[in-house]
Amino acid sequence: MPGNGTPAEGNNAQKHWNLLASKSRRNRRVKDASLFAFLIAASIPIIIPYFWLLTLAFSAGREGVDTRVLWPSIFILVPAVVLTWVWATIADTRRRAMTGWGVIWAVAIAVYAIFLGPELHLYNFRFLLNPDFNAAYTDIVAAKDNPGFSVTSFPSVWTAFWNSLFIAGVSTVIVIFAASLAGYYISRFQYRFRETSLAAMLVLHAFPTTVLLIPIFLVIWKIGLLDTLFGIVLVIVGIELPFAVFIMKGFFDAVPWEIEMSALTDGATRRQAFYKVVLPQVTNGMIAVSVFVFIRGWEEFIFVLTLLATNAKWTMSLYTFFVTEETNLGIDYGVVSAVAVFYIMPSFLLYTIAQKYLLQMSVGGIKG
Amino acid sequence: MATIEFRGINKKFGDETIIPEMNLKIDDGEFVALLGPSGCGKSTTLFMLAGIYLPTDGELLFDGARVNEVEARDRNVGIVFQSYALYPHMTVAKNIAFPLRFKKTPEAEINRRVKEAAELVRVGELLERRPEQLSGGQQQRVALARALVKDPALLLLDEPLSNLDATLRLAMRTEIKALQERLKVTTVLVTHDQIEATTMADRIVCMHAGKIEQIGTPDDLYKRPATRFVAEFVGSPPINTFQGAAADGVVELGGARLAISGGANGPVYVGLRPEHLFFADGGIPAKIVQHEPMGREILYVCDTPLGMVRILEAAATASQSIGSETHFGFDSAHSLVFESASENLIGNARVSAIESGS
Repeated sequence: MPGNGTPAEGNNAQKHWNLLASKSRRNRRVKDASLFAFLIAASIPIIIPYFWLLTLAFSAGREGVDTRVLWPSIFILVPAVVLTWVWATIADTRRRAMTGWGVIWAVAIAVYAIFLGPELHLYNFRFLLNPDFNAAYTDIVAAKDNPGFSVTSFPSVWTAFWNSLFIAGVSTVIVIFAASLAGYYISRFQYRFRETSLAAMLVLHAFPTTVLLIPIFLVIWKIGLLDTLFGIVLVIVGIELPFAVFIMKGFFDAVPWEIEMSALTDGATRRQAFYKVVLPQVTNGMIAVSVFVFIRGWEEFIFVLTLLATNAKWTMSLYTFFVTEETNLGIDYGVVSAVAVFYIMPSFLLYTIAQKYLLQMSVGGIKG
Repeated sequence: MATIEFRGINKKFGDETIIPEMNLKIDDGEFVALLGPSGCGKSTTLFMLAGIYLPTDGELLFDGARVNEVEARDRNVGIVFQSYALYPHMTVAKNIAFPLRFKKTPEAEINRRVKEAAELVRVGELLERRPEQLSGGQQQRVALARALVKDPALLLLDEPLSNLDATLRLAMRTEIKALQERLKVTTVLVTHDQIEATTMADRIVCMHAGKIEQIGTPDDLYKRPATRFVAEFVGSPPINTFQGAAADGVVELGGARLAISGGANGPVYVGLRPEHLFFADGGIPAKIVQHEPMGREILYVCDTPLGMVRILEAAATASQSIGSETHFGFDSAHSLVFESASENLIGNARVSAIESGS
């Protein structure tokens, strides 16, 4: 014990402690550095493809794949990302970290604007205004042999947009309504085969839905919903509901019984207690489930491709698909990228806004 | 305000009987505590009173009228839970006003009564806060205000003090008791904490395994426990009980022989509270194993011919050291004798030291 023996002993003890302390500091630094190295390595392969899309959308011309802008952009982006993480290890206060990041990205953007700014244009986004966005080229070719003929059979992108919005929105509303009620019932009431039904629901979610493609096609056809948006809605609801119910049950489990009993003795009916007291406790769960179902509906492709025929019913996923398919004159990567950027924008916005609710999904817990 | 009566109440969950048969009458304005260990059926009883559980059989009467099937919301019962169960998404004012929203009360009157109730429990300045911004004690008060705002016929308290720290618990105990006396509202407190029950209630209903062991004042339960269970459950530190056989006015307890009166015969339990034991120059030999200072008192654990015995000494510093050998005597007037089979108190039986020291 320092201070308890001779001064020499005390000194030795102090040295010993110092040694241990510096070892611990070193360990901590190594740990931080390896964590951030991993984050850099993991984030770059994710960021680059999106960056590729974004760059092409704003820079590519009709002339085919164009790397004139792409490579310099990546040379600006990668150092910026690396610096961001490195700064995160160095900065010791939140404020300093923020200022550092601000500087890094301001410089990156400035460099980008100076060297590549003039190359950027919005021409690839012409599909937003003109459904016949390739007419300028296709007509020239087609008109040679076939005067008056227009090749494109594309609907307006806004038709596809509203169709996707309808499918995603209506599915979300139905799923959230049914899942809230079902989740509440499963959480609160004891009934025969409760455990079994819960397990069965999860198993349903475990199977790849693609195997159901043909049976579902037949069912939808028999009930006369082929080539209708509502048919797609039904399929998405059917696929997403089990998991949504399960998640909602978890959220209801976390609401204490006492709150409900309290409401009942306070004069509420069972239904009033549910709407006024229990439901407000699970709004985070409802938001999280809504976001997931919405995005699922928004990106649905395989069932849409199978069950929809006429191009007035196209969704954004079909639209994007057919833009890449439209190969009369070779793929127009600029337009493809621009459509992709337009397509992912709503998902991106939704995720960003709802992020804090999505993170709470795990709070819902999984108990039988 | 109401009188409450349980008439042959029976409660089963499926095949499991929680309460075999319960008969109990609570007077208007009385403060009754249901005391017992967890799983004794006291919370089930409370929920039957609240109208959340239906009794399986028997009659539950409020003011002489059968209310078995009356729904919770029509019973005019206020309830305070251990977890307080405030509505997290509402402000304090909205929490307190919640019970009035279902009664078509005019807005002005709601405001007035919320203020009144909040003042009553001294949370008047917290009305715009949310529950998560309140301390445990404040949440407790808000829960109390919410239960009282509707002028309940019956106030139910479910372990209301268990989540509070020790000092606050003491203060709330006094406060709830004073409030109850002022408002004269019939109150049922459910607790496993004997101190809570004895300090607050007019009468205590001691329950064990769904049965009422004894109904009485705190004093009755302490001095004349009807059964061995009550004797062991009430009193802190717990009573010493010894099993023995009584015959011809003598009871053999382990290695000791004591005189027994009151016609006790056959196997018995003898109960001696730690506070009625004292160290003496003569008596039963004891070796001190451990001592625990408890502030104004010291609890000794001693190895004696009767087995391990707890002795409480009213002193701030220990008179006996660990390992020392001494003797102890007891206060015969406070000794308790229970029949072994039924575990019931034998009313006038007492044990005492055998005079001639055989």
